[in-house]
Amino acid sequence: MIGKVPADVSSQIPDPLPFTTPKSLQVIRRCTLHLSDPSQNHQLRTLASVYDVLAIRPDNERSLQQACEALECDLISLDLSSRFPFYFKYTSLANALQRGVSFEICYGPGILNSDGGASRRNLISNATQLIRATKGRGIVLSSGAKRALACRGPADVVNLAVLWGLGQERGMEAVGKEARSVVVQAEMKRRSFRGVIDVIYGGEKPKRDPGKSAKGKPEKTKRKTDVLGDDIREDDATPNSISKREQRRQAKKARLDTGEILEDKPKEASRGSIILPDNVPAEDLPDGKND
Amino acid sequence: MVRIKHRYLLVHILYPDPADPNAKSSSLTPGKNFPDLVQFHRPSPNDLTPQLFARAIKDQVLLLYGDYGLGLVTSSLYIKYLSPATSTAIVRCSRAHYRLVWAALSFMTHITVTSTQSHQSRACAMQVVRVSGTIKKVEEEAIRRARAAILRAKRESDEGTADGILGILGKEGEETLQGEKNMNDLSSMSDEDNEMGIESDEDG
Repeated sequence: MIGKVPADVSSQIPDPLPFTTPKSLQVIRRCTLHLSDPSQNHQLRTLASVYDVLAIRPDNERSLQQACEALECDLISLDLSSRFPFYFKYTSLANALQRGVSFEICYGPGILNSDGGASRRNLISNATQLIRATKGRGIVLSSGAKRALACRGPADVVNLAVLWGLGQERGMEAVGKEARSVVVQAEMKRRSFRGVIDVIYGGEKPKRDPGKSAKGKPEKTKRKTDVLGDDIREDDATPNSISKREQRRQAKKARLDTGEILEDKPKEASRGSIILPDNVPAEDLPDGKND
Repeated sequence: MVRIKHRYLLVHILYPDPADPNAKSSSLTPGKNFPDLVQFHRPSPNDLTPQLFARAIKDQVLLLYGDYGLGLVTSSLYIKYLSPATSTAIVRCSRAHYRLVWAALSFMTHITVTSTQSHQSRACAMQVVRVSGTIKKVEEEAIRRARAAILRAKRESDEGTADGILGILGKEGEETLQGEKNMNDLSSMSDEDNEMGIESDEDG
């Protein structure tokens, strides 16, 4: 969306999509707002209420800073295929991360590379800068594709992210966990009470067959745990679990212990070490005592 | 003597764009309307040879990493297996630099096939579906995926759900489960395999 936001905003994406989708697929509607003039009033709240995810695409440093610090959005999606005449500052980006706003890396323009390498170079440069500045946190990897050709598999994208300085783990998170958290947080912001408390439908209480629950199930489980416990105890007690070396060691210890009782000597004496009486200082000891 | 360690990448060549009519008539039987799922995992042109594929990868590495990258990669890069029928390839590369090769594959958007009479370039996407240190595991995965793909295509074309986003996405879990279950039924389907142009090449 370019230009001024109209007074009454309505979702441009048709609600029942014109083609069939699998039942397990949840379609999330997203709006990306290009932001160049930070002083202008963009009705972000009305936009946010219409779309599921609201992303902001700042064009210059000031609008980026504003987006990081103040604007109510879910995602900051910089156009990484163009060159930015400034560095990303950790302080302002950390501000956004603290507010729970993530950053998006769109790899699509770099893959298609329609303008002879410039977009790819810019993408790699900006992505490494962004990863450096955010220390790899709060990064979402997405295609930003206008054609299906620019999409890549998740593992391929993670590999690219690894080459750009994001770790393997962080890369996996950027594809999976972070993207999920953006969606969930956006949903929380819209639906819940002050973005903190939400009432969810926890499902019906499963109906129980009274006969089963009274007799069959609990007894069964109990017996199972009992059996399990016995197994563990048996394992501890079996002689097989003790190695020969351990057996020998134990035998020796037993011998020493019995010797100690019979001879009424302290345990250490049998090992031939020096026993110091408490009241005798060490330096007063005669040399030949340990013979 | 320490052996040289390799990585084997199992690569699928995908065709997200619908086929243009002239290319379709050359590689597939005309007059038959293929569902989107089969179009997506379309057979590659028959004149795509391992040498050509290796050439394409090396060109892309050269483009991305320059002479230095190509020098690192070129000694170990080898196309172990390429089946234009299933659009599947196994690429061998050295363990130290497999990410370079992988990135080059990710950045590829087309394969140029230069045969004697025509010079055609087709938009495609490379998807690495398995990375392994041994070729055996990659081979097993390739066979498993090919089987699952056939079964899914057959089932969904019977049910009429193979078109559109439904056909391409599908359910991964369901697909594998179905694949395992119908493993025994596969022997009876070998004639269909040939019809669809998928060969079960066991020796890689």
